[in-house]
Amino acid sequence: MDINSKLNRRDFVAKSAWGATASLTLPGFLQQTLFNLDARAQSVPSNGGDGPILLLLEMAGGNDTLNTVIPYGNSIYNTARSSLRLNETHGFHKLTDKNGPSVTGNDEALALHPNLTYFDTLWKDGDLGIINGVGYPNPNLSHFSSYDYWHSAKPNTMSKDGWIGRYFDNQCDGCGSTSGIYINGRPTLAFRSSNGLSPTATFKNPGYFNWRDKSETGREQPLDKMYRKLIGLDHPTDDGISTTDTTLAYVQRAAHSAMVSTANVQAAIEEGGTLLTNSEWPTGNGLANNLKVIAQLIKGKSDTSIYYARQGGYDTHNNQVDVNLGPLAGRHFNLLDDLNGGLKAFIDEMKAQGIWDRVVILTFSEFGRKVIQNGSSGTDHGAAESLFVMGGQVNGNNYYGLYPDLAADARVKRNSMDFNVDFRTVYRTLLEKWMGVPPSAMPNIFPSQPVNFDPLAFL
Amino acid sequence: MLDPLPQESWSRRAAIHLLNRAGFGGSPDEQEALFRLGEESGIEAAVDSLLETSEDWSSQPWPDWALRDKDPNGDFYDPDGNTEAANSNSNFRNQGIRRREFTRWYFASLKEGQPLAAKLLKFFTDHFAIDSAAIGQYYRFIGLLRYFEILRKHAAGNVAGQDAPFEGDERLVPDGHYGNFRTMVNHVSWSIAMVRTLDLYVSTNRSINENFGRELLELFTLGVGDTFTNDNDDYTEEDVGTAAEAFTGRKIYNYRYPNNTNNGPYPAAVWQNNGLRDKSAKSFFGNEAMPGGADIVDGDDIIELIFNSTRCAKHLSWKLWRYFASPNPSKELVAALALRFRDTHDYEIRPFLKDIFLSQEFYDDSAINSQVKDAGDILTILEKQLEAPLVSKDAIEDVMQQLGYEILFPPSIAGWPEPDGDGNTWLATGSMVFRMNMPSIWSHRNFDVLTNNRVRNSLDEYPEVDWNSIAPRELRTIENFPLLIDALTKRFLPNKTLRKSQIRTLYQRYSAISEQLDSLEGVKELIRLLLALPEYQLQ
Repeated sequence: MDINSKLNRRDFVAKSAWGATASLTLPGFLQQTLFNLDARAQSVPSNGGDGPILLLLEMAGGNDTLNTVIPYGNSIYNTARSSLRLNETHGFHKLTDKNGPSVTGNDEALALHPNLTYFDTLWKDGDLGIINGVGYPNPNLSHFSSYDYWHSAKPNTMSKDGWIGRYFDNQCDGCGSTSGIYINGRPTLAFRSSNGLSPTATFKNPGYFNWRDKSETGREQPLDKMYRKLIGLDHPTDDGISTTDTTLAYVQRAAHSAMVSTANVQAAIEEGGTLLTNSEWPTGNGLANNLKVIAQLIKGKSDTSIYYARQGGYDTHNNQVDVNLGPLAGRHFNLLDDLNGGLKAFIDEMKAQGIWDRVVILTFSEFGRKVIQNGSSGTDHGAAESLFVMGGQVNGNNYYGLYPDLAADARVKRNSMDFNVDFRTVYRTLLEKWMGVPPSAMPNIFPSQPVNFDPLAFL
Repeated sequence: MLDPLPQESWSRRAAIHLLNRAGFGGSPDEQEALFRLGEESGIEAAVDSLLETSEDWSSQPWPDWALRDKDPNGDFYDPDGNTEAANSNSNFRNQGIRRREFTRWYFASLKEGQPLAAKLLKFFTDHFAIDSAAIGQYYRFIGLLRYFEILRKHAAGNVAGQDAPFEGDERLVPDGHYGNFRTMVNHVSWSIAMVRTLDLYVSTNRSINENFGRELLELFTLGVGDTFTNDNDDYTEEDVGTAAEAFTGRKIYNYRYPNNTNNGPYPAAVWQNNGLRDKSAKSFFGNEAMPGGADIVDGDDIIELIFNSTRCAKHLSWKLWRYFASPNPSKELVAALALRFRDTHDYEIRPFLKDIFLSQEFYDDSAINSQVKDAGDILTILEKQLEAPLVSKDAIEDVMQQLGYEILFPPSIAGWPEPDGDGNTWLATGSMVFRMNMPSIWSHRNFDVLTNNRVRNSLDEYPEVDWNSIAPRELRTIENFPLLIDALTKRFLPNKTLRKSQIRTLYQRYSAISEQLDSLEGVKELIRLLLALPEYQLQ
């Protein structure tokens, strides 16, 4: 078999499983063949990184979208946010060309936060869509439950797998081990597959995502070759994966994944070289640093279709706006400045590389925040929120979903806004209209489906 | 359920498992000694030997700069001994130095403390995670040191053997003693570190901030979801609001700095501003009144009601079992544990742990090697196995950043990943790479795995491992390889078996390097490779 031909991932998973159960009766060489199929399937090159790219950007902590996509003409907003509210004097960006459709039936006049200058440009260019009123039924106001729900796309259940993991399980034929990349220190449930074989990698710093053995003491072969042999990756007879101990097997696969994906990532970083917009990236902006790594991997044609980045800090219970300086200072102001600066640099680079038409970016948070501000110049956990979707092929300059009704009697969970677009619909739209997943696969990827599951029109 | 392990089931395997879980493992000699003790004096004697409550932490004092009457935050400390007013050494004011000294103090407590106390300290650090950034610079280090002092005293258990009033910023707490989970939650709720981290200091009867009220229920006591219970006894959003109302008006006195003698009492303390406290009668978590009939009013009442509930007992039992025994206890087992924890032991932690360590379920095959070592385990165990001193404070910080365990900057207020077994979230691809690279810091002084020159240079004086102790010379001949690998496996991979193909690869490697260079280089290479194995990640 030509190892460079595409292997069907489902085939190799099935065969590995068969190999495992048959291992007592199969001769060693045959087990070994099956295992190599597994290992090579993880490193098989695919289309050289020419396909569609999806970047998921998680604004962790619960973004206050009422102060991000601002209903500045709404008297309830202005009353509920006595010291947090933003108005024209703060230099926000009115979306004057059209008002946002609202649950109330009266279109809402909306403005972007003063720091979202580039978002305003994207809106005018038709590359930014705004999805209002996003959430899920019976919202959970715990960060951790809500993270899990957004990552698993199974609200109100405990899930062992994530929506992207299930997408790879079901749709990713001949996937390389770096089909999904998350620039972070710890993994996301979103990537976790149901069988422990998620073809994804999670790391923080590509410079240290490597085998660092510069001494080479008495070594006729590099350290990674030794490791590969010891963990069974290149061993002629021993596949190195326990068939009896699932925890051990998990760790062994983690080691395999580490061996294979370091090689892929180093190759892409080397191939990519210096970014075209290298000198224009902001400094002191952690999100921008992570997006820069992603831009390098894209430039180096990493065989990756889904990138994931995270910006933490949105849990603004206090000092969301600066007590003394007002809304043009404070935690939320700084976060959105980093978000705007990071995304501007990233998108400029995508445009310079000539691939902005191949990229779609979705920003999301585990929940929005309450309508009424709290006593500490901040806001407590809420429910529905607004999402941003960007890309050269996005149907931008448009609203999707309805702006929630802010009125007291329309609120849920003690002063939170109610949703009207289920976030699973947004995910489905991305997979179906961007990644090309057939509708028939949706029941497998989304075993839990909302009542209204029709794709949105932003793509 | 929870029947004691029969004496005839005691084994070396059981002894090693107990050492791994009640502490950070043991040397081959310690493994043998614990096994013998259990054989000769009974399993209970072996368990008791690990439960001793004697750790007063006097061997791990606070750093000098935090021990002074004035300026315990160290903001004006001068290591050259100048007085505060004449302090010309502004270098120390660099927060990074104090942060690294603090982190080293924590890891020294883990490594040198009584093993079970250290293991519990690590549990509490995760369970009651606090965030240095949220604490703020004015209270940061004294707040952190006092906070971790609370945690490590509770981890040590009731050392004094009696109820004792509390000192410092815990003086508002009802009487109790260290080593009790309920008392500890109360202490935590009065600590500067937590009052700052979860915004209690700004929550008043006039304007509620629900951050602490929510996490008290979700993270510290009751938990969410149905993983650990079939009872339909979740708290409601209204309960979150009520808890938030009860914990209002907790304020922090400011410091009196050396150059500022005007403000407030000294030292910094949490106090109750009664004018800002919500004094209304409340209903909470299905209760309209306290068990004695009194109104439900303040935070103490809320904590008492929480701990009276089955859900709290189950959630905490579940979490302790996962940390000490295995990742997926059955709901029946959790229910049995909860009865022990609440009804038999009134939330006394060590007596409850004794029940766990004596139980058959604890020694079940499915529990042994079922945990992925967390980042604190990895460093502490590795250094103990190598009989090596703690690395420099700079190196500790760098290693922990790469492993994802910065104790002052939890990834979220829920702390670090839970011990999930299969699917464990400690093993991000990047952390796995570092876990495999990391042993060469000790085996080959390969400081390239650290991220900058300050950190690498900080290890210039770090001593070489005593290889003669780890791998005695008489074992190093090629013919003695089986004995050598046996000794190293006992030390580094107890309760684990290497596959034949691995041993063959290791043998080829050892003999090649021993011939080309010498047997010491062979030993170092062998240890580096053993510690990079996937098997090494488990305990």
